[in-house]
Amino acid sequence: MNISLVAKGQPEQMHRHHLLSRRSPDEWALGGILLIGIAALTVAVVAPLYTLLSKSVQDHDGNFVGLDNFATYVSTPSLVSSISHSLTVALLSTLIVTTLAFCAAYAITRTRLPGKGLFRTILVLPILAPSLLPAISLVYLFGNQGILKEMLMGESIYGPIGIVIGSCFWTFPHALMILLTALANSDARLYESAKVLGASPFRTFLTVTLPSVKYGLISTAFVVFTLVITDFGVPKVIGGQFNVLATDIYKQVIGQQNFEMGAAVSVILLLPALLTFIADRWVQRRQSAMLTSKAVPWTPEKRPLADNLFTGILLLLSIIILGMIGMAIYASLVTFWPYNLNLTFKNYQFDLMDGGGWEAYWNSIRMATYTALFGTFFIFFNAYLVEKLKGFGIAKFLFHLMAILPLAVPGLVLGLAYIFYFNSPSNPLNGIYGTMVILVICTISHFYTVCHLTAVTALKQIDPEFESVSASLKVPQFVTFWRVSLPVCLPAVLEIGIYLFVNAMTTVSAVIFLYSYNTMLASVAVLNMDDAGDIAPAAAMAVMIMLTCVVAKLVHWVISTILLQKTQRWRTRVTEGATS
Amino acid sequence: MTAHPYLQLIDIDQYFGQFQALKKVSLSINEGEFVCFLGPSGCGKTTLLRVIAGLDSLCSGQILQAGRDITYAPVNKRDFGIVFQSYALFPNLSVADNIGYGLKSRRVSRQNKTARIRELLSVVGLERSEQKYPSQLSGGQQQRVALARALATSPGLLLLDEPLSALDARVRAHLRHEIKQLQEKLGVTTIMVTHDQEEALTMADRIVVMNHGLIEQIGTPEEIYCQPQSAFVADFVGEMNFLDGFLCNDSQVQSQSIRLDVSQTGSFSIDSPLRVAVRPEDIRLRLNGDRHNVLNGTVLDLEFLGSKARSRVAVKGHDQILIADISMNELTELELRNGQNVDIQLPRDRLQLFGKAAS
Ligand SMILES: Nc1ncnc2c1ncn2[C@@H]1O[C@H](COP(=O)(O)OP(=O)(O)OP(=O)(O)O)[C@@H](O)[C@H]1O
Ligand SMILES: [Mg+2]
Repeated sequence: MNISLVAKGQPEQMHRHHLLSRRSPDEWALGGILLIGIAALTVAVVAPLYTLLSKSVQDHDGNFVGLDNFATYVSTPSLVSSISHSLTVALLSTLIVTTLAFCAAYAITRTRLPGKGLFRTILVLPILAPSLLPAISLVYLFGNQGILKEMLMGESIYGPIGIVIGSCFWTFPHALMILLTALANSDARLYESAKVLGASPFRTFLTVTLPSVKYGLISTAFVVFTLVITDFGVPKVIGGQFNVLATDIYKQVIGQQNFEMGAAVSVILLLPALLTFIADRWVQRRQSAMLTSKAVPWTPEKRPLADNLFTGILLLLSIIILGMIGMAIYASLVTFWPYNLNLTFKNYQFDLMDGGGWEAYWNSIRMATYTALFGTFFIFFNAYLVEKLKGFGIAKFLFHLMAILPLAVPGLVLGLAYIFYFNSPSNPLNGIYGTMVILVICTISHFYTVCHLTAVTALKQIDPEFESVSASLKVPQFVTFWRVSLPVCLPAVLEIGIYLFVNAMTTVSAVIFLYSYNTMLASVAVLNMDDAGDIAPAAAMAVMIMLTCVVAKLVHWVISTILLQKTQRWRTRVTEGATS
Repeated sequence: MTAHPYLQLIDIDQYFGQFQALKKVSLSINEGEFVCFLGPSGCGKTTLLRVIAGLDSLCSGQILQAGRDITYAPVNKRDFGIVFQSYALFPNLSVADNIGYGLKSRRVSRQNKTARIRELLSVVGLERSEQKYPSQLSGGQQQRVALARALATSPGLLLLDEPLSALDARVRAHLRHEIKQLQEKLGVTTIMVTHDQEEALTMADRIVVMNHGLIEQIGTPEEIYCQPQSAFVADFVGEMNFLDGFLCNDSQVQSQSIRLDVSQTGSFSIDSPLRVAVRPEDIRLRLNGDRHNVLNGTVLDLEFLGSKARSRVAVKGHDQILIADISMNELTELELRNGQNVDIQLPRDRLQLFGKAAS
């Protein structure tokens, strides 16, 4: 071999010549799949949102009218008041939930209470119920014929009070989980040094505990704020005449068929969500930087006074949560509230009333199953490609961006965007409108980000060199995905699956515009029955949804436990080999 | 037949954004050779290894392996086995499955595969561990499994990226020896990345010393140690005393108020600034009749390093403190103590001259 033949300038030529052969066929195939993934997200997220944005600056006939819709909106007092309503309710709920969730999280992580596991299970229960369930319970507790009506001292539950209580109920678990993680990550060494330096417990709390959960608190506040301001179920059921942004969209679209105004309100609703999203991203980055150093886990000491106080708080919160859930269950079993309190299953005979019947329930199960199956597969595989595929830098970046975007889009807005995009006669995908397919796609898209980030986090924890090793052993990357990456990440995969299932069962906002006569869903049925005055059957359906989610959670728990046991032999100390 | 270079790197450049991690790296490696890339952290060793493996595509340059141009060949079209610092063992696969991972795709019959796995396990000294999982093995054992996995497909080239750095000193010394023996037995061309000079000196046939993306010197361990071609190499490999000065005539160097005889002056001209280098073990504390380059100084302190002792000596007429190593025998003979006044000799033939500019 004569090397001196290699002249200057030649590498440039070779560069071009070898461009195709630089990657192996399976890398090209996987890159192709990633491109399909990008196309899918474009259709499912980006294009609908774009259509929505353009609709908001068009009139009924599709002419460009600039900001006219917004001008009309601003000059309609009944609509503008919704903005301040939404903000008030969301801020108030944020304040309450963040405070309560912090107390609860502190109690669980920083005290030595008995039965922490039980408390924890109870406190996250609301996540398994549709947001309509607390609203219905509130009607029974504090409504016109409510058993605790006097406690409101003449105030009506139908309005801001009801919305705030209901919102607090269903957003509480979200806040709790963020804060539990934030508090669990604190470093024992800091506490020990504070003690050595003679700081009082209160001072330690101010100087060590609070700063270490600062970002967790900010993150919680933002998340709760967005959840409340974009929620539609609670204000719909308990809001009475108190209009908020989310119900405005619904009324404009469903009530008045004024799609353009609906689009304009959607854009307004998009703003706080977008701001929250940006702030949250910023916080996440800060927080991950803080967690890079190795923390030493901390075991709390016994403090009788504090322990008792926090037991009290946890007990109170648990009672409220169980009470709300219990109320809904009880109401669903009562013959005719409040006159005939005999227990009966008559309210569960959904087929005898309007609202979709049992068919709606089974539709929901089907929808949730498809969402969990296809969603998990699509999300995890694409997250794998984004994390582990060599090259394709721009494609991976683009995909990641699109995967994060749905977090900033309220379900109601996404649903409306889907109407605009898929219902347009010129869209070749027009056929899926009104079918199960569009419900599944919309739900997957709506909950995409959290699942994507879960998958990415899990994938980041496995050794980055697995793919390099298998390529050097000439094993196709797909085989390594199947034999190694997937099994190692199985807990995260199951986590994604159950998350999608539960959310698909309970969501209202994302699908309220998209169901059809044939694809009625349980959560929508709750809303419609409540609207028609059939509150007891609505409660019954809400209870069915919750029961289903509980069962799904149990199944998930059993599968995970069995799996962990089966794989325990290699999972113990699994990280050591990967990180050392 | 002359030894054909097995692997040839020609003018390799590698950029990460604006940062140039490799600068015109050229190198050829013979078949069966054991080569170490040695250099401080961040000098580009791993980058070079990954370029050879095809894990990162290079910006310009050319790579030939066994006469074949593999510059742009995808990873799975190259012929190498690799062991990473983290080992990258598949945690959910047993030791046997890990080692046999690359055999699956090669239509190897089941019996042959089992036999091959058993053979490899005995080669790395891990008989009867087939069914264990990586997490049930110690760091050193995991290391061997990774090695066996890389060797399973009989690659022509073995790449090791700091394979021993995650292990404790004792295991490391042991495995160092084992890997070297194994490599000699199999005759596989091997490149090992390390920042541990002792590892490089004991294992390599040839060492490639790198700094800031450049190759500073290529040579046998002896050449690298005894004839460093730059002050950087001299300083990085082993200990070295440096005295700044200039050439005052064709056989003497002036450094502050000390004048030293040197045996050769290389390409330096009179008055050109330079650095005189001498290894601690070359400085004599026990003088014989020859009195050239003898300096008077005071022992500042003594440090025991097991088989030898290291003394720091402040020399009269110079503010640079010199480090001198002596054996324990000499130490007892000389009855050296802190604060003691001593004569030391910097033997003329052990002095090396380096340009001032080089690092
Ligand atoms: N993917 C990358 N992107 C940007 N810079 C990189 C990347 N990989 C390496 N570098 C930079 O290139 C330089 C060489 O890195 P390399 O990993 O090759 O060093 P090394 O010699 O292996 O060091 P060490 O002994 O610490 O492993 C470093 O300055 C590093 O910061
Ligand atoms: Mg390195």
